Amino acid sequence: MSDWTRGRRSDSHSSKPENRKRGVDGSLRANRETGGSGRENGGHTDGSYRYSEKRHASFTTPESTGPVSRCSRPADWGSQVDDDEMRRDVHRDMQRYRRRILGAEVTQRERKTSSGSSESCDSREGENMETDEAVLLRRQKQINYGKNTLAYDRYTKEVPKHMRQPGVHPKTPNKFRKYSRRSWDQQIKLWKVKLHAWDPPTEDGQDKVLDIEELDLGDVMDIELDFPTLPDSQNASLPARSLSLEGEDCSGTPVKVQKTETTVEPDMA
Amino acid sequence: MLPSIMENTTDDYRIQSFDLDTQMLLKTALKDPSSVNLEKVSDIIMDQSLKDQVFSKEAGRICYTIVQAEAKQNNGNVFRRNLLNRLQQEFKNREETRGRSLQEWVCYVSFICNIFDYLKVNNMPMVALVHPVYDCLIRLAQPDALMNEEEVDCLVLQLHRIGEQLEKVNSPRMDELFFLLRDGFLLQEGLTSMARLLLLEILEFRAGGWLLSSTAHKYYYSEIAD
Repeated sequence: MSDWTRGRRSDSHSSKPENRKRGVDGSLRANRETGGSGRENGGHTDGSYRYSEKRHASFTTPESTGPVSRCSRPADWGSQVDDDEMRRDVHRDMQRYRRRILGAEVTQRERKTSSGSSESCDSREGENMETDEAVLLRRQKQINYGKNTLAYDRYTKEVPKHMRQPGVHPKTPNKFRKYSRRSWDQQIKLWKVKLHAWDPPTEDGQDKVLDIEELDLGDVMDIELDFPTLPDSQNASLPARSLSLEGEDCSGTPVKVQKTETTVEPDMA
Repeated sequence: MLPSIMENTTDDYRIQSFDLDTQMLLKTALKDPSSVNLEKVSDIIMDQSLKDQVFSKEAGRICYTIVQAEAKQNNGNVFRRNLLNRLQQEFKNREETRGRSLQEWVCYVSFICNIFDYLKVNNMPMVALVHPVYDCLIRLAQPDALMNEEEVDCLVLQLHRIGEQLEKVNSPRMDELFFLLRDGFLLQEGLTSMARLLLLEILEFRAGGWLLSSTAHKYYYSEIAD
């Protein structure tokens, strides 16, 4: 697979979104190398390829730097102990969460007839719990970044728990539920965007504007990718389906992807 | 009533040896950690520990309180992070420190062990410190160190305090350490009888499950009292 063959088809279809899709897509990177090249057998010049390469490099950078710093054990004792603490906190949380699910299941069994929808949801969570330590730690770190903000402090102070409305107020994503990497990252992003509403009204508005701009950019980038995967039930099936794609004449998924592309296109323009 | 209570609690931290400004800084760090430069506070505590043998044996308590206060106030860990990284820095220079000043070296070991004893992560010892603490203690059990009563005394005191915890988190290294101690007690020439006494006591102490039987206690301590 030379650069030539890989770059060829980029323009024949709605080229930009397709490039973008792969560029941002961290979890499917292997796919891009193998299946992707097969799919792109069209014909075009190197110019557009180079263009796309540049784009996806800039998009994937934040994704690819992450795992490196996460996997390598920090050399300094301070960070080691911080990590240690987080790991133990996560395990403690996991036990609590299990207990809570158990409790919910018990009450559900007790009053079988008057089952609420939320309870049955909880019991499903029990079977579908994320237990991979690496995933949980990564998620916890993201949550900690969000919580370690003035906005979060202000939010928790101004809006007591019983006042919070789903859909209106930011709700910390549930790290113990199974989500795809992209769906999770998207939830975190949206959560952070919502939290920004509680940013302190500071005099140095410049910083604030910059922050928001950064976030928006990331957000657009993720929405375009994540929109089709947002309904949780589809998370697992979607990447698998696109993996099996060999030619572009496949029926199912591309329709959906197309949809996102059209919704996103105006945002990017 | 309240002021006297405050005095008592700060007395516990043995900060009277600091100058007044530093005492104020430490008192503020205990009450309102986010309002002071915690990096500076950790440096002050570390520096004092290296100078002051009494303080080095008790500094864990003040560190513990500051860590708790900071976590409670804003979920922070700036103080702990800086303290541990400073400890690490000194750890790297330990052989040089020992060559320069036995007292400073002994102070360092007391301090790191005291931190290990006091600062816990979810009630468990900090894993990052386990090997460094063992490294220090095993250094103290080398033949040249056993010749210095000061170092033997320090080694034995640390084992009395944290030996059991250390063994729980890593028993092979405790075995390694005690091979050295047995050899030292049995084979090394030139040890003072005081050093031998201390070594024998700690050997018995661990053999008894980190407890001294009452007869052993009587043997080791009433004789000294006389």
